[in-house]
Amino acid sequence: MSHSVPSFVYTTYIETSAEKLWHALTDGDFTERYWFGHRVASDWKVGSPYKFARQGTGSVEGKVLISDPPKRLAYTWDPCSPDAKRERTSRVTFDLEPRGKVIKLTVTHDNLDEGGKTLRDISGGWPMVIASLKSLLETGRALPADLPSCAAEKTDA
Amino acid sequence: MSKPEFVYVIYIQSTAEKIWQALTDPEMTKEFWGRHQNRSDWKPGSEWRHVNYDDATDIAVAGTVVESDPPRRLVLSWARPNETDVSRVTFEIDDFMASARLTVTHDELSEEMLSKIRAGWPAVLSSLKSLLETGASLPMTRRNWKKAS
Repeated sequence: MSHSVPSFVYTTYIETSAEKLWHALTDGDFTERYWFGHRVASDWKVGSPYKFARQGTGSVEGKVLISDPPKRLAYTWDPCSPDAKRERTSRVTFDLEPRGKVIKLTVTHDNLDEGGKTLRDISGGWPMVIASLKSLLETGRALPADLPSCAAEKTDA
Repeated sequence: MSKPEFVYVIYIQSTAEKIWQALTDPEMTKEFWGRHQNRSDWKPGSEWRHVNYDDATDIAVAGTVVESDPPRRLVLSWARPNETDVSRVTFEIDDFMASARLTVTHDELSEEMLSKIRAGWPAVLSSLKSLLETGASLPMTRRNWKKAS
């Protein structure tokens, strides 16, 4: 997936309600189940900080840019790894659009450094996270997998 | 000038064999692919067709099986009937932890074809995942969407 414009867009369709999907994106107990152990915490007000942590160790943090439940959520994306710290702060936007009994979810990750670690990590990571989220909402079971980027960071450390 | 390509990766709690079957069995494709069936003997060099389930003379897409290595890799040429705008679709299926990863690469695209397929693949493949994991595809993909629009 080598594009000259460093933005990453991933769309999927999930049989759920916009409210449940919003909850799934913003509730730490829920993200821990499908986001491979990463809990999110925030009050989800515009300008507020948020943080993802796994077993108490921070993984990604930033601030809330847009919070329009249950339609649109955007935040800055600042990975806690030292390599990614040298890159510009990127941005993630979730758009939730009802299509009958199904929600179209579009994840747009932009303002990325070309050829950077963050672009590499998120290009592999989003399809896994979103697949796991879809499975959990539709079947009650998340994807039995782990994020390769987290495993790689652990061996690097 | 390199032509545009579209890549979509999806993880499915299923096996490579079941994903292969879902892509190549007309009774399964009709459930998640806009009530169309994929028809072929899936041998390299054979023709394949994507046709309306209720009217076999209504061919939406047709082409040749370029590579066929079940259940791992299927490469198809892809064109509207009687059009010279031919693109290529590659399905790759890998085992991934206790799941499977399906990578669809649609390349050799014209800008016009890219605009047609970029919205379709996420819907079709999301519905395929639902079908294999829950037993039911997504409702919107069970209809013939050409008629719906």
